[in-house]
Amino acid sequence: MAVDADVVQLRRGDLNALSELITRYQNRLYRYLLRMVRQPAEADDLFQQTWLRVVEKIGSFNPNRNFDAWLFTLARNLAIDHLRRIRPQSLDEPLADGRHSETVAERIPSKDHTPLDHALAAERRTEIIEAMSGLPVMYREVLTLRFEEEMKIEEIAQVTAVPLSTAKARLRRSLEQLRDALEAR
Amino acid sequence: MGLSEHDKIRELLALAAADALTSAEEEQVAEHVRSCPACSNELAAWLPIASELRRLPTPQPSSWLVHATLARAEAKLSEQAEHDWNRRVMICVVAFAWLLTIASWLVFHFVSERFGSLLEPQFGHAWISFAAFTALGWLAGGVAAVMLAVRQRGERRLA
Repeated sequence: MAVDADVVQLRRGDLNALSELITRYQNRLYRYLLRMVRQPAEADDLFQQTWLRVVEKIGSFNPNRNFDAWLFTLARNLAIDHLRRIRPQSLDEPLADGRHSETVAERIPSKDHTPLDHALAAERRTEIIEAMSGLPVMYREVLTLRFEEEMKIEEIAQVTAVPLSTAKARLRRSLEQLRDALEAR
Repeated sequence: MGLSEHDKIRELLALAAADALTSAEEEQVAEHVRSCPACSNELAAWLPIASELRRLPTPQPSSWLVHATLARAEAKLSEQAEHDWNRRVMICVVAFAWLLTIASWLVFHFVSERFGSLLEPQFGHAWISFAAFTALGWLAGGVAAVMLAVRQRGERRLA
């Protein structure tokens, strides 16, 4: 695995490296946190806390290891602690009214062909995001790590601190639950 | 192929759509799907879901959030760098103080050897005074360090 130069520089206290890393990971990290906690204000707070934790712990990080997995593990631990403190029930059960707060960026259509295609695609995306929001946090998490962060199953197992077989089973169950939720609409 | 094999493959179809199978499992699924229309249809039902999940829009943090995060993280990084620097300086100062103490004991020993006979019997008292002076010096240094640390912590809390 190639050693990330910015990570090495950050370990030496380089402010530019910190800025580079925040810029590089901002969208992925924010998306992950938002999928986890669903509330933008809470995701904002956790986003800041995660980077403060990075600065605090970077000295103990081995640059030969996978920075992505380490970063997402820090974010995950903060998000889980937050959910346990604020909404303990959300760690086990899907919320009945768990609607994802759509942001401006999410309303921007992708490259579809006609206005009708745009509308249908946007509607479908909203359906999926809402169905995903209704899943328990461990299933939302595994879906976003696999499909949005494009992590391999080994990395997902590392971030979520579970054996590979559990990560696979969790991914399968999350897809099945998502499909059930979509079909129930 | 038996029913159990069919069920086993069926459980892998969602993971196949998610590209989360090993190459051996992928081959197994591909081979089975070619000869099983039910599993072929099931896999076809999973593929659009996986595709849509990959194309979900990315919510972005506001530029205010990114700037605020950067500012807070930079402040923390500077604070940590200052803390590390202070610790290094403190280690050097303490090491230097010990060096000086040991050197002064050696000098005192040398002086006492040469002039001790001229100054007897007061020299035994001088040794005790010197030891007391050294201990007092270290004690004062320790108290000053603790007071400084307490004050710094208070200032940091206020900031």
